[in-house]
Amino acid sequence: MAEPQMKADVPAIDVNDLHKSFGEIEVLKGIDVHVDNGEVVCVIGPSGSGKSTLLRCVNLLEIPTSGKIFVEGEEITDPDIDVDKIRARIGMVFQSFNLFPHLDVLGNLAIAQQRVKKRSKNEAVDIARKNLAKVGIPEKEDAYPAHLSGGQQQRVAIARALSMDPDMMLFDEPTSALDPELVGDVLAVMKNLAQEGMTMMVVTHEMGFAREVGDKLVFMDDGLIVEEGVPSEVLADPQHERTQSFLSKVL
Amino acid sequence: MAMSPRKRARLSRGIQYAVLIVLAVLLVLLSDLGSLQKNFLDVDIMRAMLPDVITTALKNTVLYTACGFTLGLVLGLFLALMRLSSVGPYRWLATAFIEFFRGLPALVVFIALSVGVPIAFPGREVPGDELGIATLALGLIGGAYMAETIRAGIQAVPKGQMEAARSLGMPSSRAMRSIVIPQAFRIVLPPLTNELILLTKDSSLVYLLGYTLSTVELASFGREVLNQEKNFTPLIVISLSYLLITVPLAIVVRRMEARSGRAR
Repeated sequence: MAEPQMKADVPAIDVNDLHKSFGEIEVLKGIDVHVDNGEVVCVIGPSGSGKSTLLRCVNLLEIPTSGKIFVEGEEITDPDIDVDKIRARIGMVFQSFNLFPHLDVLGNLAIAQQRVKKRSKNEAVDIARKNLAKVGIPEKEDAYPAHLSGGQQQRVAIARALSMDPDMMLFDEPTSALDPELVGDVLAVMKNLAQEGMTMMVVTHEMGFAREVGDKLVFMDDGLIVEEGVPSEVLADPQHERTQSFLSKVL
Repeated sequence: MAMSPRKRARLSRGIQYAVLIVLAVLLVLLSDLGSLQKNFLDVDIMRAMLPDVITTALKNTVLYTACGFTLGLVLGLFLALMRLSSVGPYRWLATAFIEFFRGLPALVVFIALSVGVPIAFPGREVPGDELGIATLALGLIGGAYMAETIRAGIQAVPKGQMEAARSLGMPSSRAMRSIVIPQAFRIVLPPLTNELILLTKDSSLVYLLGYTLSTVELASFGREVLNQEKNFTPLIVISLSYLLITVPLAIVVRRMEARSGRAR
């Protein structure tokens, strides 16, 4: 088959000395992160700290200025890489859902399967239904995104990413745009995913989720990783002064 | 003596209705209805025009407009994509084309294609006779206008749509076709209809090419009968015929808007 290497040996995501500038402004100032297979890494930090940019660099929605990123051992920062192939292996969930408003829920889940994975319509729909059931809204398959609540939309977005059978999932503040009472449903879906062994990198403000589900917590500030470690330990006993100050404001 | 806002609003509405009624009454009193009817609503002339105005003239107007619009739409889409291209020369070419054909009177384009082309390229002319020239002229003009509309529509689709499509592994051309352009067209549907209505009226310029019994369209047909009968009734007839095209069009678009409104 196409992937003969043993995945367990290579980290799912390996970021080395990543820098990213927008014009004059350096947003990432040398980031090193490792995400092992099946690991859930939560990234927290104040807004403007570069955590979303870091996540977006991992599937090349932003092109790094310098540094290297490896996905399952493959250097994706190599200019000769087939970006679309890499992206099809990495599921991405956005803060603003970004469902396709002109397609119904099944269409949202099927279109990339058909166009990118070249699955037949029947196969794509079967997989779509399976994933809709997984995120707990099988009854919404004919609805258009505009008729769904934020929480439902985000769960459809997760199902859409899962329908591509990704090896790992990136979450960019998945619950930040949701009404408070809808956050729980989305987090529950993510927790299930983590328990099934999905490799996840989650930019979030949900400290409870990070503590309960995360294997590792990364605190970023001003384009740098200030502190990282086991979530419960970092949250309970932050070593760095900036982490302490941030956590005292959000907890 | 202060009036409550609600009373004032009612009074203002009353005045507006009154103005309307007074104007209508004045219009009727001042106009010479008898002569109006004789000069503009001659039933015999209407009857004489009747089969041909629909079966030939209206049909040809629709045909010229439809062909021109179709060409313009395809051209406009390509120009819009060129305007958004990352390759400089494509952008410049598209911009030059758009500015040129938007600035030119439709009349000049028609003359250039019918008279200019045979002079510029001896022995050659635009193929397809009247239909060919009309399609090309209306297509070039419509394309230039629609290009800017479509470009604006594409840019109005939120950036997150492209990002979501790309992050699912779609190449950018596929994301454009499957995700961005379908949404852009919903956005530009109303202005595009406007363009179609304008083109319908521009199609009257086909009269410059001369016409035969079979290629005559509404405006030429009206003018012909007007000259024969020395009576303005044909203008009313062709005006109603134009409305016969444009009003249903407007209704269809309103329906489509309502439907896509549900999906948004």
